[in-house]
This record gives sequence, structure tokens and C-alpha cells, in this order.
Amino acid sequence: MSERLVKINIPILLTAVLGIFMIIQFYFPLPQEAATTSNILMSFTTIVSAAALMLGSVILTIAHGKKILEKKPEWYYSILYVIPFAIITILGLISVQGASFAWVYNNITSPIGAALYSLTAFYITSAAYRVFRARNWSAAVLLVVSFIILMMLLPVGDYLVPPVMPIGQWLLSVPSNAGYRGMIMGTSLGVIGLGIRIFTGRQKEHLGIREEKKEAS
Amino acid sequence: MSIVKKMLNIDGRILFVIMFIAVAFPLLHPIVLPMVIQPYSQQAYDFANSIPNGSYVLVEGGNIAATDPACGPALSLFVYHMMTKNCKLVFFELTAEGAFWTQKEINVGLGKLPASVPAQNGVNWVNLGYIAGQESGAAALAANIRSTVSKDYFGTSIDTIPMMNNINTAKDFQAAFWFGGSEGSVPYGVRQLVMPYNLPLGASCTTNEAPNYSPYLQAGQLKGLFAGVRGSAEYEFLMGVPGTALGQSMATNIGGLYWLILILLGNILYFISRARGEK
Repeated sequence: MSERLVKINIPILLTAVLGIFMIIQFYFPLPQEAATTSNILMSFTTIVSAAALMLGSVILTIAHGKKILEKKPEWYYSILYVIPFAIITILGLISVQGASFAWVYNNITSPIGAALYSLTAFYITSAAYRVFRARNWSAAVLLVVSFIILMMLLPVGDYLVPPVMPIGQWLLSVPSNAGYRGMIMGTSLGVIGLGIRIFTGRQKEHLGIREEKKEAS
Repeated sequence: MSIVKKMLNIDGRILFVIMFIAVAFPLLHPIVLPMVIQPYSQQAYDFANSIPNGSYVLVEGGNIAATDPACGPALSLFVYHMMTKNCKLVFFELTAEGAFWTQKEINVGLGKLPASVPAQNGVNWVNLGYIAGQESGAAALAANIRSTVSKDYFGTSIDTIPMMNNINTAKDFQAAFWFGGSEGSVPYGVRQLVMPYNLPLGASCTTNEAPNYSPYLQAGQLKGLFAGVRGSAEYEFLMGVPGTALGQSMATNIGGLYWLILILLGNILYFISRARGEK
């Protein structure tokens, strides 16, 4: 068998046949055997995803391990990945219900995650004072709308300025909703287009093949 | 340099210190201020309240370390709320970290229950743990639980869990609630539970994600939404069960008002500076 057949044609054919099979059940009632096959195929995705997660962890650890062994530039940062990864993996393999595993989450992961998320508040503080300016009409509209929405979202906002609730709700329900709904429709149509391109073999990135467009001479 | 220019170029660290005090002080000295309940929170509460007693409810727990302080209180209260209605809760998570935080909030919710309310693992609730595959994982679980996951979070075989007898697809549930945190997964619930199985769905997310979901709320695909710490605080207020969210809402108030003052002050100073022709 030629390399192209194995690496490109068969995967595209499989993607198209299975993809169409999975989509068609949303439009037409299928016999029980087909529904069972579709459920099995869906359960495959969880297995493949879990395997990909594991593979990703292994590859990342190997990459960092190599960096440490070969003393590449800034290799010491890789230690910060490898040692915690090893500790958490060992603790998790012993027992995910164990007190040690919970201790790591409660005393390391939780404060770090919360602290990183909290930093946003400080960035916004600086941006609110220095950048968020009504420099032109478009910026002024954005400023006024943001002011109303932020005031509405504050627990005490509508108590202090009662009109912010109806005005804010209208802004969310009408202009914001219209824009977002349009975006959802646009994205969905884009996904359909992408699906058709994949099924017909015009899009091959999922096979690890990147085809550069020929520049017009 | 004029005073206006000096104020516009104020050291960022001063702004940060004031922000820190504005948030830390109310957390250390919580005061509950009056609040108006948002329509989406009221709808979410009404939806949760309308779930018939004894129903099977499918719950996705997507909170992680960063979002648990804001959205976790709503999840723990939901556990409390449903348990007092004798509902059977089946949890699952689409992130590995979410499995830990969901179990933590389940324990918090169960801890609030009076001893007279039955809340036994495997009988009244079950946590299926992490399901890989994001939206595809949710679709697979909705179609066939046993072919997607064989053991629960504690390693118990699903076939030996009493409350899972005759429960295998989304069709076997009467309602669902999606605690998506900030993972942006609430539309997965709409696409994989509401549309194919007609399962009524409520949700919780961080404040910044709430505007994204208003199309689903208006279309009736989402029955209600607890948004961020305010949503959690409103749920606590409506339930009459004060918790950590009500305490945190004061910090949100002060921090948010500080932002608004900075925006106003920054713009006033900018216009004064521009009127004077300063660069």
C-alpha cells in the first residue's frame, strides 16, 4: 500500500464515514444496532481523550527531563515542573482520596489558583485608571455601557442606583444578546464549513499535514 | 508638572494597595448589605425549587481552585437544597481538577444537612468523577453512562451502587444543573442534554461569563443562572442559609465601587488635562 493511501486517504475516508454516521442520527431515526454503535463510538472519545492526556503528560515530562539533564538555558525552571509532577503522581497513585493528596490541593493548588485569578483584579485596577478613557465617541459608549453593567453586577449596585438594573438588563437582553447570538450562528456555520472541508479531504491539519497555500506569482 | 498630571501618573503600587485594603477589609469584617435579587438568579432558584421531590438530577461540577471561592458556595448549597428535597444527585466533571473541587463542595453541602436528612453516598448521591473528552465526553455520558465510566470517584463499580440501578442515560433524569465555573462549558449542557433529551437545565458560572449565556436564558434552553459570587450570595439569601458567598459579596461591592471611582476619576483628570492642553 502506498504511503499516501495509509497516511491520508484512509484516515480521511474513516473521518468522513464515521463523521456522517454520527451526524445523521440527529436528522433521521436509526435502527437500534446503529444507535448502539454510535454510543460505542462516543465512549471511544473519552478513552482516546484520556490516553491523549496521559501521552501529553509523558511527553511534557520527557521534554523537561531532557532539558534538566542537558543543562539547557533556564533548565532550573524545569525542576519546578518535574518535582511537583512526580510528587502529585505518586500521591495520586497511592490514593486520590488520601489526606496527602487533599493536602496538596487545599494548601498549594487552591491558594496558587486563587492568587493567579485574583491578580486580574489588580490589572483591572490599573487599566480602569490609566487606559479606560473616553478618547472618542466609540470609547465613550463603551465606557458608559461598562459602567452600567459593572454597577448592575455589583450586589449593592442596583440598591444605590436603581435604574441600572432595568437599563443593564436591556443592554444584556437586546444589543449584547443580538451580537452574541449572531456570533454563535456564525461560529456554528463556520464549524459546519470546517466539517465539510475535513470530510471532503480539503482540510488535512487534523492528520498533522499542513499545506502551504501557493502564493500567486 | 501640574497636580492633575501628577495624579494621572500616580504610582500603580498605591492603586494596588488601596485595592488590597478595599477587598481584604470586608473579608475580615464581613457585613451583609441589602441586595436586589437578579432575575436570572431568581429563575435559577425557582427552577431548583420546582424540581419534584425524589427526582434524579444530573450535575456537572466544573469549578477549579480559581473559581471555587465564587461559584463553590452555590454548588454546596445546591447539594443541601436537593438533599432536603430527597433528590438523587449524580455528579460528573469534565476537568480532572473539577472532580476534587466538586467532591469538596459536596462534603460542605452534606455537612450543613440536619442528621434527619438521608445523604448516603451511593444511595442519595454519587460522584462519577472526571470524564475525559470535554463535550464529546458529556455526549457519551448522556448517551450511555456505563459505557463511558465504570467506577465512581471513590473507585466503586457503578453496577454495585444502589441508586444507579435503572439509571444509564440522560433520559433517566428529571433535571440537570451545570456548575461550569469559568470553563465555558455551559453550552455543552445545552447542546448535549437539553436539545437531544429535553432535560431542563440550570447553570452557574463566573460573573464574566454570564453575559455569554443570556441567549440561552432568553431562549429558555437554560432555566436560570447563578452568576459568580453574587449569584451564590443570592442563592444563599433566597434559601435563608447564610454562607461564605454572602460574606464575600461585600468585598465584591467595595472592590467594584473602587473600580468605578477610578474610572470616573481617571476620565475627569484626563479631560481637565486635555482642556489645559497638557500632553
